[in-house]
Amino acid sequence: MGEVIVITSGKGGVGKTTTTANLGAGLASLGKKVVLVDTDIGLRNLDVVMGLENRIVYDLVDVVEGRCRLKQALIKDKRLESLYLLPANQTRDKSAINRQQMIKLTEQLREDYDFVLIDCPAGIEGGFKNAVAGAEQALVVTTPEVAAVRDADRIIGLLEADDVEALRLIINRLRPDMVRKGDMMDIEDIMEILAIDLLGVVPEDEYIVVSTNRGEPAVLGGHSKAGQAYHNISRRLLGEEVPFLNWETGNGIMARLKRLIGLG
Amino acid sequence: MFSSIEDQNRAGAPQNMLPLAAGSRLNKGKPTYLICRTVRSGQRFEYPGNAVVMGDIHPGGEVVASGHVIVMGTLKGVVHAGAEGDENAVVLAFRLQPIQLRIAGYITRAPDNEGDFDSGEPEIARVQDEAIIIDKYHPGTEKRWLTKSLKQEEVEQNG
Repeated sequence: MGEVIVITSGKGGVGKTTTTANLGAGLASLGKKVVLVDTDIGLRNLDVVMGLENRIVYDLVDVVEGRCRLKQALIKDKRLESLYLLPANQTRDKSAINRQQMIKLTEQLREDYDFVLIDCPAGIEGGFKNAVAGAEQALVVTTPEVAAVRDADRIIGLLEADDVEALRLIINRLRPDMVRKGDMMDIEDIMEILAIDLLGVVPEDEYIVVSTNRGEPAVLGGHSKAGQAYHNISRRLLGEEVPFLNWETGNGIMARLKRLIGLG
Repeated sequence: MFSSIEDQNRAGAPQNMLPLAAGSRLNKGKPTYLICRTVRSGQRFEYPGNAVVMGDIHPGGEVVASGHVIVMGTLKGVVHAGAEGDENAVVLAFRLQPIQLRIAGYITRAPDNEGDFDSGEPEIARVQDEAIIIDKYHPGTEKRWLTKSLKQEEVEQNG
């Protein structure tokens, strides 16, 4: 039986879809069988970020409405053998599916896959409720901004009320340089407010823009900082103890040097 | 397969859809619908006949017709011509750069990692030898494809 994990945030634009794509690719490159489910019906993006848009014939709504079999709608990734995508429908809206259908779907998927990663839409309405329905674990994505952290707190409350057991935090788009200057919330500030386990920190990285536009998850391409961070988070999801990188904790070599010579 | 009234309402478009004279020479017996708008992401038009789009079809937009589809603009979305199985249906576009193209039961997609390819001229897609092929469009030659079913019908009727 595989693990069903929803990736959610409350606020939009903090990196749910990017995180889903990269963790999916990360886990698959570590040898796991992974399926990504895009539940953002009407505003699908995951297929574009994965570069699989041109392969879509059937989608999530076709599956739950019985127009095709589940296997027909699953799109195999073009790079990784063990990575699959179940795309969202683009012409309908969130009310096209319900919680029971999502529970049934995730139960079906977890029989064949090690990980079922669900990309949740922004907001706390129907789309969110559908996305979390079949999930037993959640990854809450936030950025070091007051508004994003506030929304993440709201989401954590809703997830707890919904009996999602394992809640873990991913802090995205952190800028260590701004944190050092005191211009950005640091990890401790965020952890203090949200009080859930930290799974990883992803730095702001221009390469994410490049990889997203190309439809290639950053975790697969080269040695970008964000790609490395997603790789580490994937390993932590598998239960490995991976030490946090220096810049993740804000104790980079430069910071330490500056502190030594009295600049920090 | 055409739940067209519902679909048109969903796209909020019926006021822009003008059925031309039924039984026009394009494809006998099938009405032709004119879509006077840009088809944007998430919009889907489904017609039991030919469809002419006076505008672009953006990525994520879809036009499905049981007959031919003509796009007087750039086709970057998904078009399904001959959706009820007519393999003689064609897709003609001023700029043909679809994410995916379907004619009857055949399906083809844009190559990966090549970005936007612009041939710089109108092109026509049709089924030949069990595959969708794309040709440069020469004015005049479309009659050969667009009226094929009509000619066939005449042949059948006359002899």
